[in-house]
Amino acid sequence: MKMQLGNRLLTVLRATTILGVGLAGLSAAEAASLKLMFQGDPYEVKIITETAKKFEVANPGTTVELINTPHDAYNEKVGAAVSAGALPDIMELDAPFLANYVWSGFLQPIAPYIDKALLDDMTASNISQGTYPVDKQLYATALVDSTVALYGSRKQLTELGIRIPTSVDDAWTKEEFLGALDKLAAAGVKWPIDLFRAYGTKTEWITYAYEPILVSMGCDVIDRTSWKATGTLDGATCVEAAKLLQGLVQKGWVVPQSAGGNQFYAEGRPAGLAWGGHWFYAEAKAQMGDDVVVMPLPKFGEKSASPNGTWIYAITKTASDPALAGKFLSFMLQDPEYRAAYAEHAGFPGIKSFAAASPLYAPGGAMAVAFEQASKSAVPRPPHPAYPTITLAFQQAMNNIFDGADAQEELSKAAKKIDADIEDNEGYAPFGQAN
Amino acid sequence: MSISQVPAANGRRRSALWGGRAQEITMLLPALALIAIFLLLPFLSSFRIALTNERLIPRPVPPRFVGLGNFQQILTDHDFWRALWNVVRFTLMVLPVQCGFALAIALLLNQKLPFRNFFRGLFFLPAITSMVVVCVIWATLFQYPTGPFNQIVGFLSFGLVQPIDWLGDPSWSMPAIVLLSAWQAYGFQMIVYLAGLQGISESLYEAAELDGANRWQRFWHVTMPSLRQTHIFVLIITTIQAFKLFTQVNILTQGGPRGTTDTLVHYMFTAGFVDQRLGLASAVAILLFFIVLIVSLVQRFVVRDRQ
Repeated sequence: MKMQLGNRLLTVLRATTILGVGLAGLSAAEAASLKLMFQGDPYEVKIITETAKKFEVANPGTTVELINTPHDAYNEKVGAAVSAGALPDIMELDAPFLANYVWSGFLQPIAPYIDKALLDDMTASNISQGTYPVDKQLYATALVDSTVALYGSRKQLTELGIRIPTSVDDAWTKEEFLGALDKLAAAGVKWPIDLFRAYGTKTEWITYAYEPILVSMGCDVIDRTSWKATGTLDGATCVEAAKLLQGLVQKGWVVPQSAGGNQFYAEGRPAGLAWGGHWFYAEAKAQMGDDVVVMPLPKFGEKSASPNGTWIYAITKTASDPALAGKFLSFMLQDPEYRAAYAEHAGFPGIKSFAAASPLYAPGGAMAVAFEQASKSAVPRPPHPAYPTITLAFQQAMNNIFDGADAQEELSKAAKKIDADIEDNEGYAPFGQAN
Repeated sequence: MSISQVPAANGRRRSALWGGRAQEITMLLPALALIAIFLLLPFLSSFRIALTNERLIPRPVPPRFVGLGNFQQILTDHDFWRALWNVVRFTLMVLPVQCGFALAIALLLNQKLPFRNFFRGLFFLPAITSMVVVCVIWATLFQYPTGPFNQIVGFLSFGLVQPIDWLGDPSWSMPAIVLLSAWQAYGFQMIVYLAGLQGISESLYEAAELDGANRWQRFWHVTMPSLRQTHIFVLIITTIQAFKLFTQVNILTQGGPRGTTDTLVHYMFTAGFVDQRLGLASAVAILLFFIVLIVSLVQRFVVRDRQ
C-alpha cells in the first residue's frame, strides 16, 4: 500500500517535471519579456500601458510586463525586490536616489543601449539628473524634468506696485521677496505665501523645494566635495536660511500644513504667492486663467538656484536583455502620443525637441521663465549614496524648524545623523576620497 | 460495566489515551509549524539582526556585528524617549475616552430598543471601516481654518474662539489623534461590553430593584462588578493596541508638529523603511515588545483577582 502510493507519487512528480521543463523550453524559445517597474499619475499609467502595447505590436514575440507601484511606498518596494532577487529589467526611480542605487550595484550605464539621437536631445539638467558622479556615466533618462517657480496674480501684484520679474537674471533679491510679502500682508492678504507645507514629509518636497534657498545663500545640506554635513548644514549660513523661513511662518505669513494645497486659487485667494512645482501651473491656470503669472525663484544670495530632478528610467544590472530594454526606452521616449500625453499635463521638458514642441515652455510661453531655470540655475540634490538619509534628516529638521524648534539645534542634529550614516557605511567608498 | 472488565478496559484506555495524545499532537503540528515559521523565527531573527548594522537593501558594505550599539543609540536618543512618552500620553487619553464611549453605547444598545440590531450594526460601522479611509475623512473635518470642526467651534462660541489648527498645533495634535482613534476603534470594545452585559443575569437586577435600588445604584452595584472580567480584558487589549499606534500618525501628521505625535511604531518604521536601518529598527521592535509585555504584566498584577 505504502509502496504503491510512493510509486504513484514518483510517477506524478516525474510527469510534472518533464512537463515543466518542456514548458520552460517553449517559453524561452518563443518570447522575450521585459519587466518594467514604475509609478505615476493615472494619465501616466494609461499612456505607458498604451505605449507598451504598441511596442509589443511593433516587435512580435516581445512582451512588456508592467509593475505599477505606489508612489509613497516605492523605495520600500525596491528594497523588497532586491532582497528577493526580483528586480525588473527597467525601473523608474526618483532622480536623487540614483547615486544610492548605482553605488549599491543595481543599475548599469544606459548610453550603449539608447538611440544616439535621443541622448543628444537631452537637456543639460536631464543629463545631470541621470549621471553618476563617480564614473560620469549616464545611468538613466526620461522625457521630463521638473522645477519650482513662484506664482502670483498679475492683477494683485500690479495693484500693489510689486515688480514682476521676467527672467532668471532679474529675479527678485531676498529684500525684494521679503518686501513683496510685507506689502501683501499689509494689503490684508491672509497668507502672503504658500510654501506647500501640505505635501508633508512623506514626499521629497522639503529637500526638493527648499534646498535651493540654502544653495542660493551659499551653503548646502552637505559639502559636495568632502561629503560631510557637519560644518555645512549646521553652519551659520544654513542656520540663517532656516531662520529666515521660520520667521515667515512665525509671522503667520505661510499657509499652514493642514490648510491644503489650493489656497492660492481657492475662493477669495487666501494665499498671495505660491512656491509651487511646475505641475502647479495647470491647476492654478484652470482656476485663475491668464491672471496667473510665473516668476523665477528669488535670488537669496550671490547666485540663483532652483530645483531639478524627477522620476527617470534606468536599466538594472540584472536585466536579461539590456539591448531590448534600451530599445523599449528609446521607443517610448520618442513616441509622439507618449509625448502628447505629457505635453497635455504641462510636463516639464527634459528633451530639447520636446521643449520645442511645448508652446507653454517655449520663449514667450507662460512657463518660459521656469524652463529658463533648468539651464541657468538648476542644482541637483546631492548625488551621493547617503541621499535617503540626507533627505530624511533634513526634512525632519526643517519641518521642526517651521513648527518653531531651534534652528541651530535641529540642523546640528540632522548633520550628525547624516555623518553617522556615512561613517556607518565606511564612507560609501569611492565617495569622499579626493576625486 | 462489570468489575471484572476493569483491568482490560484500563489497559485499552491507556493505549487509547496515548493514541489520543499522539493524535492531538499530530493535529497541532501544522498550526505549530505555521506559528514557528511566521512568528517565532522572525522574532528570533530580529534579535540577530538587532545586533548588526544590517540594511533594508543589501549594499556593497557587508553588515557588521555591532553588539548592543543599536540599543545604546536608541536609549540615548531623545526622540525615542519622546516617542515613548507620546505613546503613554496617547494611551492615558484614549483608554478612558474609548472604553467609556464603548461602554456607554453598549449600555444604550442593550436596552429593548426598536431596530436594536440595525443600530448595533450602525454603531459598529466605524470599526469595520479602513483606518486609512477614516483618516482621510477626518483630515477634512480637522481642516484649518474652515473645516467642519472649526465651523462648529466658531458657531458654538459665537465666533469668539479662533479656529484651531487641530493637527498643526503641538498642544492639539495628540488630542485630535485621540478623538479620531477612539471614534474609529470603539466598536470592538463595544461588542465585548455588549457580550458582557448579555451575560449578567436578569435576576440580579430584579433583586436589586426589590431592595429599592434606583437606576444609578443598579448600574454601580450590579452592572459594574459583573463586568469586572470584561473590564480587565478590554483594558489590556486597548492598552496593547494603543501602544501600537501608527496608521493615524503616519497618514495625518507624520509624527509632527515638532514630534508631538511621533510614536514608537512610527519611530521604528522611519528607522527601518525610510532610513533603511534594519538593525536599528529591529532593536526598536524588541524594545517595544518588552515595553508592551511589562505594561501588560503590571496591569495583570494590578487588576488580579484577590480572592
